Amino acid sequence: MERKAFLRNGLAALGLGIIAPLACTKSSGSSSSSSSSSTSDSTSTSTSSSSCTATGSETAGPYPTVTPSSYVRSNIVDGQTGVALTIKITVRNLNNSCAVLAGALVDIWHCTALGYYSEYSDTPGGSYATVDYTASHFLRGRQTTDSNGLVTFTSIFPGWYSPRAPHIHAHVYNSSGTSLLITQIAFPTDICNTVYTTVSPYSDRGVQDTANTADMVFSDSLATELSTVTGSVSAGYVLTQTIYVSA
Amino acid sequence: MKKGIIRLLYRKIIDTSSSKIWEKLVFDHSYTEFLMQAQLYNREKKYSTFGELITHVPGAEKLHFLVSASVTGYVQQLNGKVPDILNNTGKHFLPFSNFRFEIINSDIRKKEQHQVAINFVSEPLTWYDTIGDRLLVAVNGNKDIRDEEVLTEMFSLQPFLSIHSLKEPA
Repeated sequence: MERKAFLRNGLAALGLGIIAPLACTKSSGSSSSSSSSSTSDSTSTSTSSSSCTATGSETAGPYPTVTPSSYVRSNIVDGQTGVALTIKITVRNLNNSCAVLAGALVDIWHCTALGYYSEYSDTPGGSYATVDYTASHFLRGRQTTDSNGLVTFTSIFPGWYSPRAPHIHAHVYNSSGTSLLITQIAFPTDICNTVYTTVSPYSDRGVQDTANTADMVFSDSLATELSTVTGSVSAGYVLTQTIYVSA
Repeated sequence: MKKGIIRLLYRKIIDTSSSKIWEKLVFDHSYTEFLMQAQLYNREKKYSTFGELITHVPGAEKLHFLVSASVTGYVQQLNGKVPDILNNTGKHFLPFSNFRFEIINSDIRKKEQHQVAINFVSEPLTWYDTIGDRLLVAVNGNKDIRDEEVLTEMFSLQPFLSIHSLKEPA
């Protein structure tokens, strides 16, 4: 979808009727609405500075190109080691007789084999991401459901961290980016036990410390959040789950 | 005569007043991603601004990281050269491979309040001297194989450009 339409629709769907400011910011340099420091064009704005900087003389190109979020990819492994896991999520619409929902955006994220999420420190002086950009968002991805309501991700079997049962986070949006459902996907315990006891590096930590039935998230909702997982350690596993949303 | 090895930090602020194509793309796409990710921390739609989310919702500071995925592709398009910072001959010269994205302000109802920054940390430079208000540096690794010359760059310190780290000469 064209970007501005995306934004407009997204905001309209959020119930935020603010086309005017959008239109305002679309036109270039409407400086009346600008609030604060303009720093990027130091060559043209640093007139009050004590030091002047030579104006750049550069070729006109290459022109920036529209680039989707680095979440938009099917393979989210990014060098993380673990047992192969294919994640197949089908989205269905409660407001349409549970028919499949095409065009929905599905974000997923989960932890590594040892229980860590991709994230960097945001504290001042904290660490900096490298331009090897996708690696800084490992095990996170976004796909759009196809005509069968399906998205597929290639990943690794997540580990676990205390005090949670193993899980995958999922956030389903409509095509405009409006949140429809934030949920989590649980794993069958027998398969977790196999992976966590027989494969390194999972086996360094052993079996999960929290059962699905004791988990703060799943204990009251396991019936709708427990996935089906088939396969083997050597061949990899396939997780299938249907998520029902009201769209 | 070496003063040390330095790394520079350039904090590039992008907001509604930014005018270049690249800046506008970063502005638009980071705002779109903010609208999407902020919903994680605003399920009841109680809050409007980034500041309110940070103040009231545990974990909302992760939005810096979560929204950064929308701009990393644009950072890659810079081909490893810090934008805006020019040497004395008017060319981009400052190499970087590390950056940090931050949300300064935003508002799910007012796009014009959206303001972000990308902090570029340069690769190490050898700082030889300061001539007037200019620093004389060499991009480490840029050596002329003829003679024993070291290729150098001259540039001025300017607003939002700072020395991030210093390693004294051995």
